[in-house]
Amino acid sequence: MEFTSILDLRRRPNQDTSRPSFFVDLNLHQVVEKIQSLWGETVVPLYHYFPVDEECEEFRRAVYRDVKQEAVHQVLFHFYEAMKRRENARVKKEKVRSGLQKSSWQLRETAEYCYALQNLLTGLEGQELSSEGLQALREYLRGYLSGEAFGQLCGEVTELLAEQTQCRVTLIYDNQQILVSEEPTLPMYEDYLRNTGEHGKEFKSPFCRTDELTPLETEVWKLYARKHMDLFQRMEKFREKYSDYAEERLLLLAEELPFYLSFYKFEQWMKGKGFAFALPTCDSCKPMRAEGLYDLALAIVNLSGGKPVVDNSFYLDDGEQFFVLTGPNQGGKTTFARSLGQLVYFAKMGLSVPAKGANVPYFTGILTHFSVEESIETGRGKLKEELIRLLPMMEDGSRNSFVVINELFTTAANYDACIMGKNVLEHFIGLQCKGIYVTHLRELTECHQAVVSLAAMLDENRQQNFKVVRSKAETKGCAINQVNKYQLTYEQLKERLAR
Amino acid sequence: MNTYLLYRNRDWKSPETYFDYGSIVQDLSLHILFRMASRAVIYERDEVKGITETDPFLQETMKRVMGVSLETYEEIAYRQEILKDCLNHEQFARELYSELTDILREWAHLGRQERKRTGSRNPVGDLMMDIQVLRLFLKGLARIRTLFEEAADLRSEGLCTLRDRLREQFPEETEQHYRTIADQIAFYISDRGDDEDRYPGEKLTVELPRIVFGVQAGDGMKLEGFVLQQVETQTKKYRDPNSAISKVQGFLQNRNGNVIPLSADSPVREQTSALEFEVVRYVMSFCEPFLKFYDDFFDQLHLQMGFYVGAVNLVHHMKRLGLDHCFPTVCTQNTLRFADLKEFVMCIEQRVNAVGNTCDIEEKSLLIVTGANQGGKSTFLRSIGIAQVCMQCGLPVTAASYASGIFPSFFTHFTRREDSAMNSGRLDEELGRMNQIIEHLGERSIILLNESFATTTEKEGSVIAYDIIKALQEAGVKILTVTHLLSFAKKVYEETKQTEAAGENPKTTFLSAQRLENGRRTFKMIQHEPELTSFGLDLYESIIVNKNEDSKRR
Repeated sequence: MEFTSILDLRRRPNQDTSRPSFFVDLNLHQVVEKIQSLWGETVVPLYHYFPVDEECEEFRRAVYRDVKQEAVHQVLFHFYEAMKRRENARVKKEKVRSGLQKSSWQLRETAEYCYALQNLLTGLEGQELSSEGLQALREYLRGYLSGEAFGQLCGEVTELLAEQTQCRVTLIYDNQQILVSEEPTLPMYEDYLRNTGEHGKEFKSPFCRTDELTPLETEVWKLYARKHMDLFQRMEKFREKYSDYAEERLLLLAEELPFYLSFYKFEQWMKGKGFAFALPTCDSCKPMRAEGLYDLALAIVNLSGGKPVVDNSFYLDDGEQFFVLTGPNQGGKTTFARSLGQLVYFAKMGLSVPAKGANVPYFTGILTHFSVEESIETGRGKLKEELIRLLPMMEDGSRNSFVVINELFTTAANYDACIMGKNVLEHFIGLQCKGIYVTHLRELTECHQAVVSLAAMLDENRQQNFKVVRSKAETKGCAINQVNKYQLTYEQLKERLAR
Repeated sequence: MNTYLLYRNRDWKSPETYFDYGSIVQDLSLHILFRMASRAVIYERDEVKGITETDPFLQETMKRVMGVSLETYEEIAYRQEILKDCLNHEQFARELYSELTDILREWAHLGRQERKRTGSRNPVGDLMMDIQVLRLFLKGLARIRTLFEEAADLRSEGLCTLRDRLREQFPEETEQHYRTIADQIAFYISDRGDDEDRYPGEKLTVELPRIVFGVQAGDGMKLEGFVLQQVETQTKKYRDPNSAISKVQGFLQNRNGNVIPLSADSPVREQTSALEFEVVRYVMSFCEPFLKFYDDFFDQLHLQMGFYVGAVNLVHHMKRLGLDHCFPTVCTQNTLRFADLKEFVMCIEQRVNAVGNTCDIEEKSLLIVTGANQGGKSTFLRSIGIAQVCMQCGLPVTAASYASGIFPSFFTHFTRREDSAMNSGRLDEELGRMNQIIEHLGERSIILLNESFATTTEKEGSVIAYDIIKALQEAGVKILTVTHLLSFAKKVYEETKQTEAAGENPKTTFLSAQRLENGRRTFKMIQHEPELTSFGLDLYESIIVNKNEDSKRR
């Protein structure tokens, strides 16, 4: 296999970087923004690329498995940083006006490129790589780096850079003039300052306020060039010769790497806070299941308040296709539904999932429908609006999607809502989809044999514990719950006042 | 650098004051004491000639330091020893304090507060200020060191170790090193003569820099890797840059192959000022640890010496008023023993030498004072309160002798006469304060209660007082109370009798204002069983009845 990209088998399979429609429903935009803010650079669009098929998903999963080896991660991270320095040098080169400066930046840019690739190959040579993606990369680098062109580039740049750092002068600022001399400088005053054993701050260049040469620097190099014109000319020749030296696919590699690296950083960070992550298995022949699954977006939000996040486990056996989840308000129903959607998303992206363990079969896509708050309605009646948003999902017609539906038809009459809900369920079940349907309609839990009834539970004190289990739908009200939540029962008040 | 004059092992970092210190100050009228401490007595040929004006800083310092209790005998002895040294070397203490006042004033003048408030907005101005502050520190430290060297026979541990630390931390070599640096970069704060409004020829010399440094090419051929070889300030003859000589010299410089001339309008000029700035900043960064080391020192020494100068002033006021004074003796919490204790604040206010009380109470945790109105009960309670606060911060007290335990948890709960109107809002406030006190009780607590719970009926008040005081006493809190709640006093008295009858030593004792057979008050407290009348009628008669008769006569 020839190396092209580490995101997919085929080069740039999916150039669509617009946000998938389910992102907001599943609160994934919050997660991805957190990843981006931890990483410190734009990576959000990378999280919008989907692998085109099952094979591509597996390709990425294998790469990520390799990235998770600390030694491999280190190598890739250093490469990424070096390439970032190269890019900075390139930007500076484009920006500055003086030809001499452009030549100098060209040296830096090229040098970073050479060292980055040499270090990358050296680093990868010792590693056990199991992914096709990284193996192909290593193979490609072996060929590219041993080529004559690359060797010559490296040699020239190293030599010129060494000569450039030898450009030293001593400046004597005295009596309203500056004398430029090539006598070596004696650090006498530095020694004097350090006499008492104190350490000063680093000397900040007074000329660094601009990237351009200041008039003083220009004058200095003008005087210097009288004796050293040859070096400056060779630097310029180098710039002309290597105006287009970089290999396209390696530049692309530097752009794509942050996808894995940023998620790895995020995963490590969350693990440090006590949250579990696991690389899922993706065996379509086995039942879908997860242990210790939690809502990643909620976990991030709760971090600041130090609140714990409840996790849940579930499975979907053969013949079972849809969860219908009922239970009290504020019982964690929506959170559970979201966590299922997130599970499928991260599995499809080839990354770790927010759970202790999971098997996620291949799905062609993710379809979601969350009821919209009254306030952001578009003026249409709520029911009408819901139906209009439901239509494209139903028409999509693709088989084997994962579907998350949250509180449909809440404004319709119970009888109507039951019939419509049943239709929707049957439609998706018929398309071999799997998914979850959150509702207050208990009737839906028994409408089809592929439906599994789930309930959000209350614990023995009738407190919410946000656990979701397989169960017949509960019928009791939940007013006591609300009272409990605000700690307003008689006993609670007594105890609070005694403190 | 550490000052360590208030504590052996730490400086003054806003330690925790007594709980509700504001009330303590109000109840014991301590603000009068703070003010007096800030005013020195002026003598002329051993005659009191007058009193200086209030020193607001000293006043505030006394308030702050007196609001924090020391915890151990050693801590109190440490301060007492320093204070004795200061009394013996009064001139040294005053000169040191006023030197510090001057240094801090000059520092403030350089813009210290503005800089703290606004942060660094003007790097050049800040840097110039740093150089001036460095000079100020050098001058101030040298002066402080001299004062210490001149005060030859200091004895206290605190002052002696501070002197030794100064010798060690700020020897002449250190002073010389930083002085040299300050001189080398003096050009940065000197008048360079480029002020255009100046009358020509007014300035004869200017201070100009000579900076020799090495650089090398970095990325993009920017200069980097600065290495300093020489930094000097040179005094040169001033020359107008637009004069003929300057122009000729500029021309001559240009002919030289390796010189960059700096005529007034050269674009390179901008970089030389940036260069000067960075060089000076770099050099000053080596002085930063030195400046930082003494950053807090002057404030601390000012405050800590301020306390001792205030204490010296207080001693002079005691002498002026003819009051005996002594350094208290620290005992266990079981002892309260004093002789001829006087209420200092009242003496200051009324400029009299008041009646002193003598008392020896051992093994008592509850002291109940009852008796005649206007008999000096509250004064008695306050005199103990003031003495206790003074003792706990290391000050002397106005008594022939005073021995007591240390109570870091010190509370006053005074009902102020004027507002002891009977309404539930007041009682509520009183109980609220009591609740606060109970929440803040510590291991060694003492509460001074003055007419507490008098804002309700005698009966109710007695029940409340009994319950609270009983509980507090059982919890090991020492309580001194002045009360009119006679049912309360009586009930406790009967219990005390029973304890005695059972052959045990009661933990409660009773005092009364002495009242002679002829009704005359001596303003002395004597140990006495509680009386069931407060002799308010006497007072009523002496004021109201007499007055009526007076007016009738008119």
